[in-house]
Amino acid sequence: MKEDLMEIICCPLDKHDLDLEVTERDDDEILAGELVCTECSETFPIEDGIPNLLPPDMRDEAPA
Amino acid sequence: MGEESDAGGAGETAEESGTERPSLANQRGVESVYQPAEDSDLLARTARERVEAGDTVLDVGTGSGYVAATLADAGARAVGVDVSPLACQEAAENGVPVVRGDLVEPFRTDAFDLVAFNPPYLPTPPEQEWDDWMEHALSGGDDGRRLVDPFLETVERVLAPSGEALMLVSSLTNPEAVRAYAAEHGLASEQLASEKHPYEALVVLRFYRE
Repeated sequence: MKEDLMEIICCPLDKHDLDLEVTERDDDEILAGELVCTECSETFPIEDGIPNLLPPDMRDEAPA
Repeated sequence: MGEESDAGGAGETAEESGTERPSLANQRGVESVYQPAEDSDLLARTARERVEAGDTVLDVGTGSGYVAATLADAGARAVGVDVSPLACQEAAENGVPVVRGDLVEPFRTDAFDLVAFNPPYLPTPPEQEWDDWMEHALSGGDDGRRLVDPFLETVERVLAPSGEALMLVSSLTNPEAVRAYAAEHGLASEQLASEKHPYEALVVLRFYRE
């Protein structure tokens, strides 16, 4: 993801702002890291450059 | 339209819906990410006429990213969202900024000038469903509205003051009932486009604040 995506995403649970914590970056592309809600502190992973903003209870609800 | 230029199984959905009522079972093993067909194309063409350069738009259930990419071509800042990790990967590979998420939940209030949604809309009895990502992309549940209704309940929050949502539905999904449900949630609607196919008509509905 690119950092400007932060302008339109929010915590899916309470709609508050997210803090971006980058662990791996390639130029302007953020490849790995975490998004942390500034209100409820829920943590959402960025994996392979894609932020996973599913609520935690939907993350593992994967069809086979 | 079958996306003749697309590789692989992109045409399968189009062909099947053109000859008989689409069967989920016939799709099995073909793809695991829904590929653009007549429905995505009608939605993309209709939405493209409505966006202006610089608009911020969201493609819900982006799949391969087709609608978002079309709107990006028109100069919009287009973002996709999908619940499927496979769809997210494919959309990203197609150059679409994508978020894995549930409908419009991970997006800010008033963020979008336009939200487009090509939902799973085929009414599907539970015994005919199977549990994989392609089924998730096609099946609308018993009445075809498994995700249509939750979308209508939540989309208004993310629309800019003059923003609008465009949704593709089939005549099989009862567009009038869909519009009535939207009205219950404070959204006025109109029909923008319609295309006849052998066993259904595809309709693009526009939803906006009353």
